[in-house]
Amino acid sequence: MLAALALGLIVSPGAAPAQNLVVQVTTEPPGLDLTATPASATAGVVLYNVQECLVKVDRHGKIVPWLADRWHTSDDRNYTFFLKRGVRFHNGRELRAADVKFVFDRAMNPETKHPYPGYYSAISDIIVKDDYTITFTLKTPTANFLLNLARQGSVIYPREAVDTLKSEPIGTGPFKLAEWVRGDRIVLVKNPDYHVKGLPKLDRVTYRFIADPNAALAALKAGDIDATMFGLGPEHVPELQKDSRFQVILGETTNDVILSMNNSRKPYADVRVRRAVTHGINKPDVVKGAMFGLGRVLGTNVDPLNPYFVDMAGAVPYDPARAKRLLADAGYPNGFETVLRVSPQYAYSIRTGEVLTDQLQKIGVKVRIEQIEWSQWLSRVWKDAEYDLTIIGHAEAWDIGNYANPKYYFRYDNADFQKLFKESETTVDDRARRALYVKMQRKLVEDAPVVWLYIYPRLAVTKKGLQGVWKDLPLPANDLSEVAWAK
Amino acid sequence: MRRYIARRAAAFAATLFFVSALVFVVVRVLPGDPALVIIGPEGSPEAAARLREALGLNRPIAVQYGEWLARALRGDLGVSLQYDVPVGRLILSRLPVTIPLTLMAAALMTTAALPLGLYAARRHRRAGDYLAMLVSQIGIAVPGFWAGLLLILLFSVHLGWVESGGFAGWSSGLWPGVRSLLLPAFALGLFQTAVLVRATRSSVLDVLGEDYVRTARAKGVSELSVLGKHTLRNAMIPIATVAGLQLGQLMAGAIILESVFALPGLGRLVLGAITARDLPLVQGVILFVASTIVLINFVVDLLYGVLDPRIRYD
Repeated sequence: MLAALALGLIVSPGAAPAQNLVVQVTTEPPGLDLTATPASATAGVVLYNVQECLVKVDRHGKIVPWLADRWHTSDDRNYTFFLKRGVRFHNGRELRAADVKFVFDRAMNPETKHPYPGYYSAISDIIVKDDYTITFTLKTPTANFLLNLARQGSVIYPREAVDTLKSEPIGTGPFKLAEWVRGDRIVLVKNPDYHVKGLPKLDRVTYRFIADPNAALAALKAGDIDATMFGLGPEHVPELQKDSRFQVILGETTNDVILSMNNSRKPYADVRVRRAVTHGINKPDVVKGAMFGLGRVLGTNVDPLNPYFVDMAGAVPYDPARAKRLLADAGYPNGFETVLRVSPQYAYSIRTGEVLTDQLQKIGVKVRIEQIEWSQWLSRVWKDAEYDLTIIGHAEAWDIGNYANPKYYFRYDNADFQKLFKESETTVDDRARRALYVKMQRKLVEDAPVVWLYIYPRLAVTKKGLQGVWKDLPLPANDLSEVAWAK
Repeated sequence: MRRYIARRAAAFAATLFFVSALVFVVVRVLPGDPALVIIGPEGSPEAAARLREALGLNRPIAVQYGEWLARALRGDLGVSLQYDVPVGRLILSRLPVTIPLTLMAAALMTTAALPLGLYAARRHRRAGDYLAMLVSQIGIAVPGFWAGLLLILLFSVHLGWVESGGFAGWSSGLWPGVRSLLLPAFALGLFQTAVLVRATRSSVLDVLGEDYVRTARAKGVSELSVLGKHTLRNAMIPIATVAGLQLGQLMAGAIILESVFALPGLGRLVLGAITARDLPLVQGVILFVASTIVLINFVVDLLYGVLDPRIRYD
């Protein structure tokens, strides 16, 4: 065996050609059809790399024209998009307005089981004016209409490829799918006919599925992968920051990690208990203990990449004495016992739970951690709300609407908040909408339906010399079009 | 012999039926919903409900099992819920990793364990015996996944001799494929080698105490012949039994090792399928593994007749 290994010296793997990139990803996508799955693992590969949208969220979180050169609206109800000319799908056919109409008609058809039908519920009509002009008519002004057109469910594909999207997605993106070896890797190659001159800079991107973080770290150190975009935890950062071979990219994401309390269950149905729990948590210590100091302390649901973010991290300060008083007022002078259900699928949730258990003990809340498998967590906690407490990161951008849905697993049901949210959805004026978002965030702080703990940081590690990687992630995409090795 | 084979074939079919029914019920009874796993928390429960209906998961278990069985009898194992690819095709695509991995681990196991066990028995209660037992004790004590990580650290990170994981594939040649599997095969075979060393030593020690061995030595038969012809052959039946069982355990061990080494094998496939509650895929892989183990046991039974001509199958 050792002799055979030694032979490896002679036939060692050759150095990767200049513009090739091998990226580790933790989870293999369950399919590559963004119009069928909401999985972030799929978006991480396909969105903006293989398939694109009429508009795009750029690295700064700004909505910019993309497959549509520009758009026009005079009344916030009729949006006319002017398509960029000469954009070709990977099968060589030119993108036309009829393709766009087909994509959105299909998304709005309940039979196609699109994962985000709500994105398009405001659309009443789509009219193709000519090959390059298309108008969307909305039932009511919809504030997030453009944003929704930039999100993963809104990718544009040729209608003739609709049946093979799950395994062979075709789009207009900077990369084409070359192969998907299930269980091992996905390989993308440069699209030579890409509609943006000079992009992409890479010739080939290989996504390797390595679930185990230790194996991913070893692969990085051994030089078998060039980058890991989501695979390593904060515990690996100090060591890698000291290693001159690598660069650690730390930034913001939309992934807010929360301690959810079941608002429909005793004792959390009582707002005083929820506030007590919030006062009983020392968030900076949670970030130190569970995240090695990485991650921004959070005060409400809106993340720092959202233009309506208001920093409310200090709104409910750590105050164990006040927490105890609130518990006594609510009829729990000696505290109570409770169960925290978490899934080991996400190591941060276990670590955070352990820190919280210690902190809450000090105000009399005795937490027992129960680890359950991910599919059980989805069924029991997320779907059926069979839980007292749970910890999870919500990666979706603009997800404040979850708090307006009384059936969501928080079971937070507040008519005032629901009204504010509804109003915010149809308010297009930026100042008025901002005011509504501030009100919503204040309302959430007051009602404490969950405890917003911290933003899970953007944590990418690459070999030195790789440029153009997005520092922040304003949406769950991993756009590699501008990434390149320094010459 | 014919009656024996017919009996074994009937037992084979019954085993597969029993295993398939058991897996079907167990996976369905476990809390967890394939549609929810596919949709994930990014989606909505309504989207999961729509998907569940599309996947036919709302129908009674008995109806689903009946349909699956009818198709399986025609050789159709269904379509993976996660990948939307026929289960048979997925299993076939993983065999070029798992079969060579298991065979390499088995080769390591037998080529290392038999001589070492024989040596330990021959040097009974002497330094060589104690050393062999110490080595096998370490092999038993070190979990395969940890051994795997240590091997990666040494041979990939520090020495850079082999890649830390992944599978180069057979299309690029025999050596790149074998090289990808060397470390995982070593880590996988380590525990079973240690067990087989002990089994071999104990079985050989038993035989070495037999009268016919003493007689052979008294007749002046060379020690090599005593060990090879008289001892090892008679000791082989328990060793073959243990080794046969270990082959099945090697396949089970591959589940962990394939994850540590990021190998696209059957073990990782079934692990992902269980997590995702991908019932057709779990069912297909378990049936395949069960069939392989039943076949290995059958071959081991036939081997008894070869090892000891007194054994007859009538």
